[in-house]
Amino acid sequence: MLKAIVQREILEYLKSSKFLIGLCLTVVLVVISTFINIGDYQQRQQDFLDAKEGLKKQRISVKIVREPQILSTLVQGRDRELGSLIDISYLYLPIQTSGYIGEYASQHHRYVCGFASVDFAFVVRVVLSLMVIFLAYNSISEERTQGTLKLALANPLPRGQLLFGKLLGGLFVVLGSLTIATLIAVFVMVLHPAISLDRELSLRILAMWGVSALYLGTFFTLSLMVSTIFNRPSVALLVLLQIWIVVIVIYPNLSVILSQHLMGLPGSEELEDRQRALFESYEQEYDKAWEAFSKMVDLGQRDQEIGRKWFEVCSQRTELFHRIDSEYSQQLTRQRHLAENMGLLSPSVLYNSVMQRLAGTDIREFDDFMEGVERLWHKYLELWALLYKDREAYQKSKHPEFAYTTQSAADCIVQTLPQWILLFLLSAAFFVVAHAVFMRKNVG
Amino acid sequence: MNAIIKREILEHLQSLQFIILIILSILLFSMNGWVSVKKHREQMRRYSDGVTGVAQNQSTVETSLYMRPNPLVLLADGGSKYQPPGYSLGPKGKLTSLPAGPKNFKMPFVPELDWAFIIKVVFSLYVLLLAFRGISGEKEIGTLRLVLSNTLRRNQLLIAKYISIILTTGIPLILGGLVSLCIVSILLPQALSLSVVPRIGLMVILAFFYLSIFAFLGLFVSSLVGRSSVVLLILLSVWILFVVVVPNVSGILSDKLSSVPSEFQTARQVGPILKEQIWARIDKVKERVNRGELTTEEAIKRETDRAYEEGQEEIRNHYVVYENAMKRRANAARNLSRLSPTALFQFASESLADSGPRREERFERDAKAYSSIYDNYILEKVGRLVGTSYWSFGSGITVNGKYINISSPHPQEYEGDKSDFPRFAESSPNLAVNVQEAFLDLAGLSLWNLILAVLAFWAIWRCDVR
Repeated sequence: MLKAIVQREILEYLKSSKFLIGLCLTVVLVVISTFINIGDYQQRQQDFLDAKEGLKKQRISVKIVREPQILSTLVQGRDRELGSLIDISYLYLPIQTSGYIGEYASQHHRYVCGFASVDFAFVVRVVLSLMVIFLAYNSISEERTQGTLKLALANPLPRGQLLFGKLLGGLFVVLGSLTIATLIAVFVMVLHPAISLDRELSLRILAMWGVSALYLGTFFTLSLMVSTIFNRPSVALLVLLQIWIVVIVIYPNLSVILSQHLMGLPGSEELEDRQRALFESYEQEYDKAWEAFSKMVDLGQRDQEIGRKWFEVCSQRTELFHRIDSEYSQQLTRQRHLAENMGLLSPSVLYNSVMQRLAGTDIREFDDFMEGVERLWHKYLELWALLYKDREAYQKSKHPEFAYTTQSAADCIVQTLPQWILLFLLSAAFFVVAHAVFMRKNVG
Repeated sequence: MNAIIKREILEHLQSLQFIILIILSILLFSMNGWVSVKKHREQMRRYSDGVTGVAQNQSTVETSLYMRPNPLVLLADGGSKYQPPGYSLGPKGKLTSLPAGPKNFKMPFVPELDWAFIIKVVFSLYVLLLAFRGISGEKEIGTLRLVLSNTLRRNQLLIAKYISIILTTGIPLILGGLVSLCIVSILLPQALSLSVVPRIGLMVILAFFYLSIFAFLGLFVSSLVGRSSVVLLILLSVWILFVVVVPNVSGILSDKLSSVPSEFQTARQVGPILKEQIWARIDKVKERVNRGELTTEEAIKRETDRAYEEGQEEIRNHYVVYENAMKRRANAARNLSRLSPTALFQFASESLADSGPRREERFERDAKAYSSIYDNYILEKVGRLVGTSYWSFGSGITVNGKYINISSPHPQEYEGDKSDFPRFAESSPNLAVNVQEAFLDLAGLSLWNLILAVLAFWAIWRCDVR
């Protein structure tokens, strides 16, 4: 019996014009967005390779370039808007990357900030979730209005089984559409010479499919629940659309805006004051070293001892200043966590965070990169110190290589497990409510 | 027709969409008021500190020009958090953006909760939700046939439906707007003066003009397609394209379509420019020293200063070219997104609120005009203009066994009386100028209205009412 219900549901969905329109829009958007994003990735990757090539001979001021993520073609996340270059030396260690043209001149962030991305994750989050609502809003209410629900339940068919059959049939169609969209995106990627997918990336894409399925499942069970609660299909649809706009458009934005205003950040003047206070006890020593060093430069002399002292006091200053900057960076992270926690009730926020984590385009990836930068700075500090201790050893020494820990697909899944569980619990809760309401529903 | 308008309005007022729209409108506009007050207070504090700082430390080396905070960003923010609060100005017109206030770069990008956002996203969707059953819903339940069997003409029915949708949407819009303005006037009375009232009034008219497009669109599709659920699906697809896809995709598309060099390509040229424009000139001076043409420290410094000055000019020009290229790209993106009425509404709102890139361009023009006054002042006081770039350079030459340090010259601070230091005044355009700036966008919105109105009338005339 369950099989018959599932088959009937699938057939009904497949024949409907709403399914066709939704699927067509999804396919068109996935193809266009993936194609555009691949072109963008290719350009950024080429810039990265060229920049890396040009940076090989650096020794005192070290430039590090950030590689674009391949999966930004599916989930742009923060990959594009965060800068690509960071410049470090014993005089400075920033906490943020900039565009290729440098911290002061770069207008990178300003000009791209107004435009959000349209990618695979966006299509699933917005378009497919809408399609799911359209497919499921009348699954119970319309059958009741037309009287077929009464007829179906006149057979020896438990109500729970009917509801379960509707869920399975609907999920089959929804997941089928998702699979088509995913395969098309992967197909566009595989055909492009700029992209090569290895096992790790394939696993990440598979996990993306999994979390997308869970996200769409949440919307399907939500629609099923609303359809069982309201008797009129039109009312159910309107209620669902209101929920959709709140969950997708309003709530995620509000959580960010609220967190920004609830948790204040110190201004640049305050940070400078803190840095000054921390360095106060070394100020005299610094001034003395600077005086000696500038005198040495003016006279065109080279004094190993003065140079060493200047280097030591500067690197100490940079380290102390960086401590304040790091605290500030942690404050930024805390503010972001607050926004994320406030948005936890929205499946859209949960979905976004998992997708960005899997694609490596979230801020966590950036934080890992910055940790790598800090480690490299410490290694270079030893090398620069050698310049004033043993010049010969310095010249013979090898460049420290930049590396940072990139998480494997499995690690990403483990880290995002709470979000997966929350999405699953939301789906389960919606289905349980739908079941409870349907068991008591007057089908007449 | 009046009876139909009244009936339609009554139906809309009793609908679930309307109740939720009222709640959402009050919630969002209240948030808008609260956030705007907090933001404006902070911006005013920074502005006053900055302006006081400039007045106390008048300098011939570098001065700062601050942009006056605009309270009307509550209508259309125009990306104010990404705009610099002003510029630092050096001799020879070197403008550098001042760092913006505390901003969390780790936060996801979300649009500002201004009036423009609430209207272009939330209200446009609700207009569609009110309009989608306008004709098809009546056809489904059979009342369309009955209504048209009276002496009422089809176009009258369409006009009645259109007016009722606009009037129904107007209630939460005006209510929400008043809530926002009340919050701002109570918490920050000095922010809003009587002079902003015409701008707010025009903003409301603009909002109706924009929402009218969606009302016509809804009625057009509703007349064309028989089933309400399909109508809604088509309308939502169009809404996604207008509100989300077109305005956002144009950002990346402009990168692909514009021929301006990327930031990386621009950065790549800096090295060769430094080599050719700075070090090649310094090498020439060194050659002249070696040939014995320059023998005194004074003569050498004069020549190297000139070399550095000319080189610095080339570097400044290179950055200006890059800056202009980025602006052209941003303009290309904005022009591409003008295909969508949502983008047209956004840009027209920014013009009315005097925010966004146009305000920044105007400020930059003012800053450039001031820079020549500033240069004249420096010339008068110091007697010499020394331009700088983001770089400073240093090298050394040994002449007759004496080491001479040659570094790029720095602007000199005038130590005398600076009571006649020129004051910077930012121009403030009148409303007519802003309306003129919004002309193209208003024309675009009119065109959309016209096309969709014609289509809606055509569709209802051809509509089979059975």
